[in-house]
Amino acid sequence: MPKLIIDDIPVEVPPGTSVLEAARSVGITIPHFCYHPALAIAAACRLCAVKLLDGPVKGIQMSCSLPAQDGMVVSTTDPDALKMRSLVIEWLMLNHPHDCPVCDEGGECLLQDFTIAGGHSRRRYVGKKRTFQNQYLGERIHHEMNRCIECYRCVRFYQEYAGGTDFGVTGSAGRVYFGRFAEGALESPFSGNLVDICPTGVFTDKTGRFRARYWDYEFAPAVCQHCSVGCNTSPQNFQRELIKIVARRNDQVNGWFICDRGRFDKEYLNSPQRPRDPEIGGAPGEYRLALEAAANRISEFCLQNGAASLAFVGSGRLSLEGCLVLAELARVVGAPFCYFTESAAAQGSLAAVRLLNEQNAARVRDIEKAECIALFELDLMEEGAMLSLAIRKASLAGAQVFRVGGAREGEKHPLPFRYQEVATVDEVPFEGGSKGVVICGAGGKSPELLSYLASSGAKLVMLQPGPNAFGAALVSLERKGATLSDLVESGQIKAVVCFEADLPPWLLERVEVLACADWKRGGLTEKASVLLPTTTWVESNGTSINYEGRAQRFLRSRPAGLPLKGLDPKYYSSETEAVALHPPRVHRNYIPGGAEREAWRVMADLMLELGGEPVNEPLTGRWGKLRDLDPEGEGVRIYDLVSAQDLS
Amino acid sequence: MISEELKKSLAERVAGAITPREATVDVMKELQAHYGWLTDEAVGEAASLLGLSPLQVEELATFYEMIYRRPVGKKVIHVCDSISCWCADCDGIIAHLKKRLGVELGGTTADGMYTLLPCACMGRCGDSPAMSVGGTPYGHLTPHLVDEILEKERRA
Repeated sequence: MPKLIIDDIPVEVPPGTSVLEAARSVGITIPHFCYHPALAIAAACRLCAVKLLDGPVKGIQMSCSLPAQDGMVVSTTDPDALKMRSLVIEWLMLNHPHDCPVCDEGGECLLQDFTIAGGHSRRRYVGKKRTFQNQYLGERIHHEMNRCIECYRCVRFYQEYAGGTDFGVTGSAGRVYFGRFAEGALESPFSGNLVDICPTGVFTDKTGRFRARYWDYEFAPAVCQHCSVGCNTSPQNFQRELIKIVARRNDQVNGWFICDRGRFDKEYLNSPQRPRDPEIGGAPGEYRLALEAAANRISEFCLQNGAASLAFVGSGRLSLEGCLVLAELARVVGAPFCYFTESAAAQGSLAAVRLLNEQNAARVRDIEKAECIALFELDLMEEGAMLSLAIRKASLAGAQVFRVGGAREGEKHPLPFRYQEVATVDEVPFEGGSKGVVICGAGGKSPELLSYLASSGAKLVMLQPGPNAFGAALVSLERKGATLSDLVESGQIKAVVCFEADLPPWLLERVEVLACADWKRGGLTEKASVLLPTTTWVESNGTSINYEGRAQRFLRSRPAGLPLKGLDPKYYSSETEAVALHPPRVHRNYIPGGAEREAWRVMADLMLELGGEPVNEPLTGRWGKLRDLDPEGEGVRIYDLVSAQDLS
Repeated sequence: MISEELKKSLAERVAGAITPREATVDVMKELQAHYGWLTDEAVGEAASLLGLSPLQVEELATFYEMIYRRPVGKKVIHVCDSISCWCADCDGIIAHLKKRLGVELGGTTADGMYTLLPCACMGRCGDSPAMSVGGTPYGHLTPHLVDEILEKERRA
C-alpha cells in the first residue's frame, strides 16, 4: 500500500491507484477532462498537472496517469502546477465558441467548472477559431463539434467500452473530429452515455434540449424500471415533466452508465394519456368516492360470490411495498392474490428465486471477472442490455463466451462482444465452474431446466420478467401467492382487482374487473368499473429487487400531477370568465391531475374502506430491515434477510 | 470496383497480419494506387476486407497525410513547412510553387498533373527546404531547382 503526501495530507491507497484518485480520496479534486474512472487512461488533455516536490519522480506530472508510489510528496497548489493548469485550460479554450447561453450543457458542464477552477478567466486569443460541420446523429443526440476539447472520452467509451463501431475519431492535429463515417443515427444501444460522458456540450440530449437548466431540475435517486437489472438513474424533472434521465453510479449494478432504453424511453411518464383522475363507471370522480365505490363493489361481489371467487392481482411492476401490502389487502378480504398472471412465467420466476442464494447469484463483478460465460436462450440486449458491457469486459480480458440456442427472434442489436455458438449448454467448458457464469432469462423457463443450468456449478444470472419480479416472486413464496391463470382455469375466479398488472387478452376475457389501479391505460383500465390512478416510479418512493436479489430504494423526484407544459387552460381559468392567457390566473390549492397515489397507498386506503387496519409502514416483519436502505448506496442483497429456501 | 486478383492479394495480406487492423495502411495504399485516391467506395472495400467498419477505416485514412480522401493530381507534391524547412525559407519555395503551378495549397493544377500539399516534416531536415513529388524526395530546394524538378517529373 503506497503511502504518499498530497498537499500536506498523508494518504495511503491501494497499489495502482493514480495520484488523481488518491487526491480525490481525501477530498481534493484535481481538474481533469480526459480522465474517467471507467475508461482507459488517455492523458490527452494535460489539465491534471500537479507538481511532485519529492520522491521517486519530481516536477510537473500528469496525475491521472501517474501511479501513487511510496514517498511521493505532491502539491496540487504549487505555483508551477497552477500556472501549467491555467495555460492548459487557456489553450483548450482557444477554439471553444463560448456559447454557454445557448448550450444545453450550461450549468452541468465540466468545462465551465474546470475553466474557472483552472484559473482561466480572460481570453487573450484573438485569432480565428477552427470550426466544423456537425453531423445528424439521430433523433436522440445532438452534435455540436465546435465545443469539442479533444478529450477522447466519447470515442473511448463508444468503441472500447461499449463495442460500437459506427462512431469514432477522424483527422489529426487541429482537424480532429468526433463523428460518424456518414450522417445517421448512432447504432449503439448505449449511445446516450455520450451525453453524460462528454465534459462539454458536444453531445446533448436532443429529447430534452432547451427546456431547463441544471438548477431548475428536481432530482432524486431512482432505479430504472424497464428491466430487472435495476440500473441507477437520476431523473431530471422540471415543472412536473421528466426532461432527461442520466446515469447514476452504482458499481454493483450499472457502473457509470445506462442503456438507451433506460435513458430515452420516458415519454410514457409525461404522456397526456396517463390516467390522472379516478373514474367510476367511466366517469371522473373524487379519489375518496372511487375508493368507496371500489370497496362497495368488492364487498357486494364477495357477498354474492364468496371472497374465494375474487383475486387481487399485482405484478413485477409493483414495488416491494406494493407486493407486501397487496397480500395484506387480500388477507382482509379473505381472497387469493397473485403477482403472476400466467403459470409458465410464474414457474420460471419462482424457480429462479428458489435457486439463487448468496453464493451462486452472480454479481456484476463475477461477470466481469468470469473466464467462461454461457448465454442461454435469451435476447440479452432486450432483457438486460447493461450486462452485455460486463460480458464485454470479461471477453476483452480473455473470457470465452458461448451462446446457447442461437439468436432470438426480433433481436434489434448485435451483442457487443465475440462469442461462439453452441447447441446445448453441455458443450460449454465450465472447468469446475468457479469462474463460469450462466446467463438466462427466468420467465417462461421450466424449473427443471433452471435447476439443470444451476447444476453446472457456474454462477447464475436469471433475468426476471419485470423490474421487481424478483421481489414479487419472493413475496409470493413468503405469503403463498397464487397464479392467476391457474385460478381462472380451475373455474374458481370470476373477478379481479388489479394493481399495476397486465393481463393477457384470454385471461381478461374470462374475468370481471371490479377495480384497477395503474399509471397506464390498457385493456384492464378499459374494462375496470373503477379506475384508481397510481403514480409511476418518478412520483413514488419504493424498493425494487433486481435479478440478483439486490434490494434498491428509489425516491420520488417530483410531485404527482400534469406537466405544466401543455396544461389544459381549464386548470387556470375561472369558471365564469374566458381563459386568461396571462396571469393573474385563478389559483388553486391542488395540483391539476395530481390525484394519483402510490400503489401501496391505494391498497392501504382500500383496506381501510374494507374495515382493515391502517398501514403506515409497508415494510414489516423480516422486510423491516430494508426501511433504512440508503437510496444513494449500492443496495443490499436480500439473501441474509430472507432465504427463499426457508420460504418454500 | 477492384479486380478479383487485387482483392485476393489484399485478402492474403490481411490474413498474414497478426491483427487485421495493422494491415489497414497497406490495404489503403493499394486501393489508393488503384483508384488514384481513396474513394468512399475504396473505404467500404477496405472495411470489408479488414473486418472493420467504414468509420474505423476512415479514422486511419484521415490520420495519414499520404492517404488522399479527395481526388488528387497524377503526382502529389508534399512540401514541408515545419520548423527546419521554415528556417531555410520554405515560405519562399511554397510561394514559388504556388506561382509556378497556379494553385493554392491543397489545389490541383488545371492539367491534373500536380496537387500541392503542405506537410509537417519528412525527416529530411538536413536537406531543408525539402519536398517530395510523387513519392520521390528532393532537398536543398531553390526556385530554379524546383522548376527543373517539376519539368523532370512532368516528363517522367
